[in-house]
Amino acid sequence: MAASTKSHASRARVIPGGFTVLSLKFQLSSVAHHQLCVKEHRVRAEKNVHRPLDRTLFVLNIPPYCAQSTVKELFSQFGPVESVELSEKPGSINPENANANLAQFFTPAEKRCFKVGYVVFKNTSSISAALVHPYESHLIVSTQERPVPTGMQKWIHDYTQSFVKPDILQKAVDDFMNQYDKRKEEEAQRLKKEAEQQQEDEEGWIKVTKGGRGAKTCPHTEAANERALQKENKKKKRKELLNFYSWQHRNTQREHIAELRKKFEDDKQRIALLRSQRKFRPY
Amino acid sequence: MKRKGSPLTEENRMETSDSSRCEEQESAEKSKRSKQKDQTPATGDGVVRPLKLSKGELYKAPTVEELSQLKEAESLFHCSLLKMQMDELLKEVALSERRKKLVDSFVQKITALLQSVPDSPVVELTDLSWLEHSGIAVPFILLPEATKGKFHMEPPVSVDLIGSYPLGTCIKPRVSVDLAVTIPPSILHPMDGINQRYSRKKALYLAGLAQHLSSSSSVGTLRYSCLHGNRLHPLLIVTPSGKESSSTTLRIHALPPPDYLQPSRFKPQRNNVRTAWFTGQDSQQEVSEPPTPHYNSAVLADLLPCSHLHFLSAHSVQCPAYGDAVALLKVWLRQRELDQGAGCFGGFLAAMLLAYLLSTHKVGKTMNAYQFLRNALHFLATTDLTESGITLANNPDSKAPSLPEFHSAFQVVFVDPSGHLNMCADMTACTYKQIQYEASLSLKFWDDPTVEGFQTLLMTPKPMIRAYDNVYQLSGLVKMQASCKKLSLLGNLMDHSGNYVLAVLPFILSLLQKGLGDRVHLLTHSLPPDPEWPVRSRPPKHKDQPPLAIGLLLNLERALSVLERGPPADSPEAADFRQLWGSRSELRRFQDGAITEAVLWPGSSVCQRRRVPLEVITHLLELHAGIPKSCVRFVGEQVADLIRVGKDASGTGEEESLKVVQSFDDLSRKLWQLEGLPLSITSVQGAHPALRYTQVFPPVPVKLIYSFFNREKSCRALVPKENKPCPYYITPIKVICHMEGSGKWPNDSLAIRHIKAAFHVRLGELLKAQHNYTSRPSPAHLDVWKDGLVFRIEVAYHREPQVLRESVTPEGMLIRRDNPEAQRVELETQHKPFLTSTLHGLQQQHPGFGAVCRLAKRWLAAQLFGGDVGEEATELLVASLFLQPAPFSPPSSPQVGLLRFLYLLATFDWKNSPLVVNLNSKLTAAEHTEIKNRFMSSRESLPVMFIATPNDETASVWTKEGPSVQMLQRIVTVAAKSLHVLETQFMDPSQKQDIRVVFRPPLDIYDVLIHLRPKQVPLMGQSVDPKFTKLPRGAREEEAVSSGGAFPVVDFDPVKLYLSELKDAFGDVALFFYDPHGGTVIAVLWKPKTFHPQPFKTSLMNARQVNVTDAATTVPNVEAIVRDFHVMGEGLVNKVELKTETWAV
Repeated sequence: MAASTKSHASRARVIPGGFTVLSLKFQLSSVAHHQLCVKEHRVRAEKNVHRPLDRTLFVLNIPPYCAQSTVKELFSQFGPVESVELSEKPGSINPENANANLAQFFTPAEKRCFKVGYVVFKNTSSISAALVHPYESHLIVSTQERPVPTGMQKWIHDYTQSFVKPDILQKAVDDFMNQYDKRKEEEAQRLKKEAEQQQEDEEGWIKVTKGGRGAKTCPHTEAANERALQKENKKKKRKELLNFYSWQHRNTQREHIAELRKKFEDDKQRIALLRSQRKFRPY
Repeated sequence: MKRKGSPLTEENRMETSDSSRCEEQESAEKSKRSKQKDQTPATGDGVVRPLKLSKGELYKAPTVEELSQLKEAESLFHCSLLKMQMDELLKEVALSERRKKLVDSFVQKITALLQSVPDSPVVELTDLSWLEHSGIAVPFILLPEATKGKFHMEPPVSVDLIGSYPLGTCIKPRVSVDLAVTIPPSILHPMDGINQRYSRKKALYLAGLAQHLSSSSSVGTLRYSCLHGNRLHPLLIVTPSGKESSSTTLRIHALPPPDYLQPSRFKPQRNNVRTAWFTGQDSQQEVSEPPTPHYNSAVLADLLPCSHLHFLSAHSVQCPAYGDAVALLKVWLRQRELDQGAGCFGGFLAAMLLAYLLSTHKVGKTMNAYQFLRNALHFLATTDLTESGITLANNPDSKAPSLPEFHSAFQVVFVDPSGHLNMCADMTACTYKQIQYEASLSLKFWDDPTVEGFQTLLMTPKPMIRAYDNVYQLSGLVKMQASCKKLSLLGNLMDHSGNYVLAVLPFILSLLQKGLGDRVHLLTHSLPPDPEWPVRSRPPKHKDQPPLAIGLLLNLERALSVLERGPPADSPEAADFRQLWGSRSELRRFQDGAITEAVLWPGSSVCQRRRVPLEVITHLLELHAGIPKSCVRFVGEQVADLIRVGKDASGTGEEESLKVVQSFDDLSRKLWQLEGLPLSITSVQGAHPALRYTQVFPPVPVKLIYSFFNREKSCRALVPKENKPCPYYITPIKVICHMEGSGKWPNDSLAIRHIKAAFHVRLGELLKAQHNYTSRPSPAHLDVWKDGLVFRIEVAYHREPQVLRESVTPEGMLIRRDNPEAQRVELETQHKPFLTSTLHGLQQQHPGFGAVCRLAKRWLAAQLFGGDVGEEATELLVASLFLQPAPFSPPSSPQVGLLRFLYLLATFDWKNSPLVVNLNSKLTAAEHTEIKNRFMSSRESLPVMFIATPNDETASVWTKEGPSVQMLQRIVTVAAKSLHVLETQFMDPSQKQDIRVVFRPPLDIYDVLIHLRPKQVPLMGQSVDPKFTKLPRGAREEEAVSSGGAFPVVDFDPVKLYLSELKDAFGDVALFFYDPHGGTVIAVLWKPKTFHPQPFKTSLMNARQVNVTDAATTVPNVEAIVRDFHVMGEGLVNKVELKTETWAV
């Protein structure tokens, strides 16, 4: 590996797959470095407006101590950065995050693992600047001017940040619940309207719509379906007669013997296994 | 970058690194492999799979033979499995034909040799010069030395096989063949029964035989021993030379010709050892000589072996299952260590007992071996031979002594067919009580359908150290010589021919029984083992035997009581009481007004009170038998050191746990009484180990030193300072608070979370207003600072898991789908509180539960398995020791509990059986079987360690996450090793006593060690080897006065945070191990196959580096990862040690 890098001295290192490898160090003094793989973000149908195709750089393997702001700083050497988006896996944003208006302390904690990033530059030219960046010139995460706290320092900071004033928390809850109630009310309104539509109009007509099963019928659930099926089966069983015909009696006897045999065979097998494990040596 | 050597799987690597694995296991595996070839393929990987029989097979017409066979299996045995298991066991212990042939040929050879013993001239009995040139010693302690009589060597009259071998009841592993050599009458004198003359001649005769045999080439080793530890019965042990040396041992007994000595001279009441001779003093006055029953029966026993053999073989011929039954009973006895040593219930007695049952028609001749065994156990359990002895003599001659005569001389009475000999002469009453106890316990387990009787009763060994709650060792047995004098037991000493240990033993036992009284269920002692020594050295002295062990089964209701209340001061029994307790007895006035004699033992904490039985024993032994305190060793007491907490580590945490529970009860009452909540509280349940007495180090109330911290102004809370050591770790004690259900609860999980947060805020306000508790609300919980402890209250809504599971399909159908989130909520809010209350109940029922559980957890954590076997799973494992103790009784002391826990880990067959923990005995036998069947049919999809409880019959929620197969394998190995080390240390006082050895993990198998700075490890004080320097951590462990003030730093453990970051970041390339109780090392193990290059993929690039050869491949960037260990643990990590012996960069 070392040899191959030397041959590409002071040139960008491009690997099959179209990725350029950048090296990243935590500090200037560190010896070991991580390899970031970057590539222009290009997918056939990008629906996400936050990732404009020509200005987005796709970055792999961002270490956990690089926060959004750190990545922004790191990549601004290639040109002004508009936004940075980090996620655990490549691909579109999962719909859960869409609920962005949640208060910060209600969002689930992020996993602090290696991440992929989408860096959106202001200018298209920044992308090519990043792609030809030489491998030997390292990106530095924590510098004198803007140190990135890790370890004890970070944990104490996090602990201090974890306090929430009760009134702020209460307010966040109230805001959310107000919105929630509003949504519920709208929903109820909608249902009511649909129900109204089912009513006969003055001429005696009922308007039949696709979704309109009516609010009054019981909710259609899996459990209810199953229950109905069970009831049916029970009814069927009750009608049957057991031990009435002589062949039925004969059959039960046959089943009994078959059961004994099966058990016997099972046991035999178990014994064979135990014997093979020398389980019968008492000491 | 690659592994050195071939790519090994994790399992293999672990095995090879632990080279000292049990040999047994290895051989077992080897045999498994070899047998796989000829076995059915279904048993290939050691897992039983349900068998599919074809329809034709199942329903074909049965033959009469098959029908009867099936019926027998079903009705006589519980099921066909038991019958097959018994058969297999018998096959395993029976001697093979090949071995029998070897034995027979060896016996023939020796017989021929014995017949050719040369004659020697007649000498005085005391003259041993004829032996001197060969260096052979006499197998007898010749004290007193002077004896009358003449002796010479002559070939024996006859050489016969006796004992179990000709009877066909000889079983492995100790195959010993008894050979009776009849001493020619010319050597003996009719009056030889007196003053050990006969016994000495016998010993000399054996020495003569040994001298002759030692010159032969076909004889391997020659050793002396004595039968059941009785020095009057010396034996010569011969093994073949060469390869077969271990296959057989031949025990040569020298016997007098039948009818040579008159049985009537050896009645229990007769004296045959004269005081004047024994003491060496000529006593002038004519005193009545004390009876010597044990000496008499020892001599008498030599007259009868041949007739006993005839008697037994008569029975054995009549009854086909007799031999098997004796073998089974012998296995049962051996597993309980009852079949060897002085006063044992050996194979001979077992055979005699079954013969008795046959002759009294308590068992039928056509019964099978299993029925024999059951009946024998039933007979033992219900018949007290110490009170009502039994006899095999049908019509004894008039000279034979009567049963009452036997009872007055012996503790246990079982008379032989001749009517003259008590076969249980040497047995102590305690040993018989132990047999009775074991028999009744076994019957109980056999009748319990949920216990696998065969496995637990016949296959599980019950060594003393694991079977009894407390074991005390009496070393320095030479002190007993003095006790003989003190107790004036000269008569008994003569009777036992100078063996002071056996002479004193019954007296010590009855003394202890009286002193311990109802503190114990059972008092037993180890049987002094049969000594064995080479023929050229002198017989070992009586004091040279290993220490005598006394085992107690405690009655925990009384055992730890510090008070021994005696009779009222003026009653006649008071004198006895004072005599027993000596100066410890004092008059005391009790609250009920009574003034009685009483003994008060020291002890304020449970830990100290565990020593009360020891105090009783040492006091009584010192007072009455003159055995000093230093001779008594309380075995295994040291384990308590590992769970010591509190001021000066004086207790073992029981008191602290109780305090936490009391504080919780108070909080729960206050919560119930809160006014002003929109919904009422339906339950307040604990969900933390401290609230079920199983927290290894229960939280201790602390007082804060405010100057140590920074302050968070807006919330009036303390935060850690950067330049100070990490502050004292305050454990949040989790409490689940269920709120009443109501239509107002939203039907959406996110909304429920918000409502819960609102509840936390509200609860905090109310607690502040009504009780002035400082608290800190957060969306997930509310921390309350109370009495120097922190409780973490979590509001729960019982429908939340259900809401999480529900979703609506596009078609408008409401469906339920299980998901991890719902399971997690259910676990936290329902399973955990339930487990907590159930185990809290178990602790009330078995007060030893908490301590055992804490030790078990401590061991797992110390061995770095804490992350694999969860806390709750460990608790259930320990609970099973109490709920299904078979074949033991529930453990009542921490040390025995720890040993049984390790034994369970080391031996349980997780592959083929579920561990059913029947909490609150809710599961019926039918449900038990159903769990087993379900387990069998879906083994592959279930967790490796499957634990079923009444609330969780199918899923095993506590072991879902782990351990993995490899880790379980490793745990099993380490547990077996630890158990072995502990038991040898416990039973052998000469070894270095350091039980912490088993709590120090071997670190050489790990790839990277991350050493942490002790300063930043808040729980440093709990580590296995505590350091002496105590760092200031901003808190003092003492009773806090007020509950107000600034909010302390809670749940701040940098190591925990660091570990979770490491696992998040590198969880897919490495495993991280850590001891949460003050460990200063994080051990890292690269995952197997981590270093195989993978093709470049965007989804597989985390922490890896690219390598371009033909195509781009990636491997983990180890250098950078190791650097990240430093970076992420800045300030906490001291150094990262790479153990590159097993891997290379």
